[in-house]
Amino acid sequence: MLSALVAGLATGAVFAATALAYNVMFSTSKVLSVTTGHLPMLGGVAGAYVIAGLGLPWWLGLLAAMGTGALFGLLTELVAIRRVLARSDEHLWLLSTLALATMVQQAVGLWWGTEPRPFPRLIPQDFSAGLADQKFWLPIALAVAMAGGLELFYSRTMAGKLFVAMSEDAFAARARGIPTDRIRVASYALAGALGGLAGFAAGQLTFAYFALGLTLTLNGFIALAVGGLGSNVGALIGGFALGLLNALASYWFGGEYQQTIAVGLLMVVLLVKPEGLLGSKQVRPV
Amino acid sequence: MSAEHRRLGLAALLALGAATLPFWAADQYQLHLATLIAAYWVLIGGLNLVVGYAGQLSIGHVGLLSIGAYAFAILAGKAGLHPALAVAASGALCGIAGLLLGLPSLRLPGFYFAMATMAVALIVGEVVLAQGELTGGGVGLPVPGFPAPFDSPAGFYWLTAAAAAVVTWLTWNVARRMQGRGLIAIRDSVVTAQAVGVPVLGAKLRAFVFSGVCAGVGGSLFAALQSYITPDTFHFELSLFFFVCIIIGGRGGILGPFLGVVVLTALPELVSPLAKLGNFFYGLLLLAVVLVVPEGIGRVFELVAARLKPRPVESVPVQPDLPRLARALRSNR
Amino acid sequence: MFHLLRLPRKLAASLALACIATLAQANDVIRIGWLSSLTGPLSSAAQAENQGVQLAVAEINAAGGINGRKLELLTRDTAGDPTKAVNLAQQLAFSEKVHFIIGPVNSGEGLGATPVIARAGVPNLVIGALEELTDPVKYPRAFRLINTNRQWISTANNYALKTLKRSRIALIGDTTGYGTASAKTATEMLEAAGVKPVYTVLVDPNKTDLTDELAKARAAGADVIMPWSAATGLVGRLLNARGDMGWNVPVVGHTALMAPQIRKLLNKPEYWENVVAAGYASTTFGADGKLPPATAALMEKVRSRIAPGGGEIELLFWWVAMGYDCVKVIEHAVKAAGGTDPAAIQKALENTRELRGVFANYSWSPTDRNGFPDGDMVPNIANTLRDGAFKLAR
Repeated sequence: MLSALVAGLATGAVFAATALAYNVMFSTSKVLSVTTGHLPMLGGVAGAYVIAGLGLPWWLGLLAAMGTGALFGLLTELVAIRRVLARSDEHLWLLSTLALATMVQQAVGLWWGTEPRPFPRLIPQDFSAGLADQKFWLPIALAVAMAGGLELFYSRTMAGKLFVAMSEDAFAARARGIPTDRIRVASYALAGALGGLAGFAAGQLTFAYFALGLTLTLNGFIALAVGGLGSNVGALIGGFALGLLNALASYWFGGEYQQTIAVGLLMVVLLVKPEGLLGSKQVRPV
Repeated sequence: MSAEHRRLGLAALLALGAATLPFWAADQYQLHLATLIAAYWVLIGGLNLVVGYAGQLSIGHVGLLSIGAYAFAILAGKAGLHPALAVAASGALCGIAGLLLGLPSLRLPGFYFAMATMAVALIVGEVVLAQGELTGGGVGLPVPGFPAPFDSPAGFYWLTAAAAAVVTWLTWNVARRMQGRGLIAIRDSVVTAQAVGVPVLGAKLRAFVFSGVCAGVGGSLFAALQSYITPDTFHFELSLFFFVCIIIGGRGGILGPFLGVVVLTALPELVSPLAKLGNFFYGLLLLAVVLVVPEGIGRVFELVAARLKPRPVESVPVQPDLPRLARALRSNR
Repeated sequence: MFHLLRLPRKLAASLALACIATLAQANDVIRIGWLSSLTGPLSSAAQAENQGVQLAVAEINAAGGINGRKLELLTRDTAGDPTKAVNLAQQLAFSEKVHFIIGPVNSGEGLGATPVIARAGVPNLVIGALEELTDPVKYPRAFRLINTNRQWISTANNYALKTLKRSRIALIGDTTGYGTASAKTATEMLEAAGVKPVYTVLVDPNKTDLTDELAKARAAGADVIMPWSAATGLVGRLLNARGDMGWNVPVVGHTALMAPQIRKLLNKPEYWENVVAAGYASTTFGADGKLPPATAALMEKVRSRIAPGGGEIELLFWWVAMGYDCVKVIEHAVKAAGGTDPAAIQKALENTRELRGVFANYSWSPTDRNGFPDGDMVPNIANTLRDGAFKLAR
């Protein structure tokens, strides 16, 4: 039972980290990118490749994971977001990010192979550590640190305040002389680096596996929608709740109805409280 | 008006070609592909109203296809119902499923809706596997064919093509009447649509339920064509394929998505390197279309046609009523 | 765009070629369709089989063909997608008019494609393990070379019940099509042997941790774990959880347990100990440490192809052997039937007894389409993988 809870929290942490990456990109562009779940996937694959494949030290693997994520974030902004935002059609970004997500997953599958591959041990620790194993607490600690760090970043630093200004009202921010385009690019790179970092930290849990992306895109989004779009604490709560629910569902009922239960949760929350647990009601249709 | 005529002519030509296909198709394989395209089109024709007209990005229609296919296989196979009744029943079932899915999820904004439909597709897959008693679980189910005269490849092709034609006719009727205009208004701006009195949720829901019925009928025909269905048949990429066909063909039209289905089904069969790249190719095509011609490939042909056509230079002679003008100027002074 | 423009010309050219070809080839070339999932999920088995198929075709052609008729191999990549497999089966049967079809590789694809091939009347060599793929009445020209799923399961069951003498079984399947189907069959077969599993569970193949499932199995008093899953990631996690718990319970089950990828997924190499999977006599080292002579000979022939530099073979060699045998069975059938007439081929294969292949010795009969004999299946010790083959589990 306890191990189900810990494993659930760890999986939930990956969902939470994905939800945080969604938030960072959403704050500056009002776009929910389908590529978000692929950022951790890329981080995991890049880390495994650099450390296990090339035999380089772990910190280079970490850099590679974050760098790959950031690069892909930049690419997303450049290819799928920037040109599309210039048009007023609000659906196009869904199509362009979906296209990019499909492409990156297929490309990684062709290069890396379609079987999951191992992720190396990061900290020397015996495998008999049980629930204290790093594969559980690394992602949990990271997700909490990421949420805290983002909150600090938004409230304490100038750059963070610019993000907030843009998320409140991009036009007003622009009118105040904030270089909104550059801020948006920065936010995508930041989200990419954070997503890559999350994939790196969770690598031992998930293995380096090409098909991870779409699952995380969906589950990260459920965490986000449950917790409330735009809220970092909400993302954290939503992620952990979803992870626990998954684990308990599979503990009590077996793995057959895992998705059904998780998605059932999403639908219920959206019906009862469409803005999520901690989201703010922002109705601005015109 | 002439453009409209030309389009009608083209459609008639296509219809003629499609109706006589069993006579000029080189072999049964080509006939099979054509039947597959027609079965896909039964679903995509309905989905087109949701995606192309109402702009609701459903990426989970494979779930409805799967419900339709399994319903048909179970009703016509295990329960021994007449296939025609089974098709009707699975169409009705998928319509209800569409209603149940659409009622909560169509209220949601774009991305939420897309994710909800995707999630439903995953749930359907999971339930199909878990309910092994009914669905055969991982082993799947054999699907009975249709009785004579639809038991031959050509006969079944005509049946499927007829269903596709009916769906096309229905969507065409919807598209050019109030309903279709209303859906386009919703796609382009919900607020404007509301302001001019379009019942937003009702219109979306009607389109979605219709697409559900189409998915049920399409799923039945697809299953009968495949003759055996397993959960592996209904993978998520198939959903993506339907969706991409419409977007690439062009939103807000019928001919464009139809060409999209034909090309995207036939091309990977003819050019094997494309089959290997599979989804990468779909992704690339989707990205290219979104970035370069968001209106779809169909629009490219129109643009090229307009560019090629010599435009008659109209001169509009201006003949002001000079005395009146002069009077007006004078009186103002 | 260029492809679109070039397509008609290409098509015309290929059509013309096809016309000329059919005229010239009607009596000359034996056309073999090969439905292989070279990309997509579970591509590793197909790629290994492809090596065997290609080698056999090249060998036969170099020796002057079968009765003077050369072989032509038409490989089609199904990418593991049943719909594509059905399309390509139609293409091979009706458009390319092949004489034989090998495949498809995955059972899921086979369930759709086999009826199509049967309707076309083309002799079909089945290499999927699911029972439903052969049926002397429905698919009279489909002959199976690989073992059936039941043979896999019964080999593992026999080892657990008779050799290990353990009967408190924990059954673990995954939630994919293959996993659920196999778990069900395994339960039935165990119950037929008078054993009721003490614990049964189906797990999502991407579940990150299996400690719970194993803890529950342990609490239920299990003394042997039997996983039926083809997902290497899941199997790797299962063995890791067992090792991390320090529970030295034997694991007996599906061949995925001894896939080369598993070795890399394990936390420690010793976690692979005490693991037994259903394997093949043809790729099992004898008491003298040697492989059967036919296997060893084939291995030396393909070593340069599948192990660059002539080193150790890093894939499961039985796939290669089976692919090789598929073409050899075609050779046998054509020789016995004196041509490629489908009905004569069916007759020839129905009357085949004890055909010596590398992978197994095949026998088919008018009422039995499963050519793989029970005796050619043996339990293997998973971590003895060396050069594509294993040691026998006693």
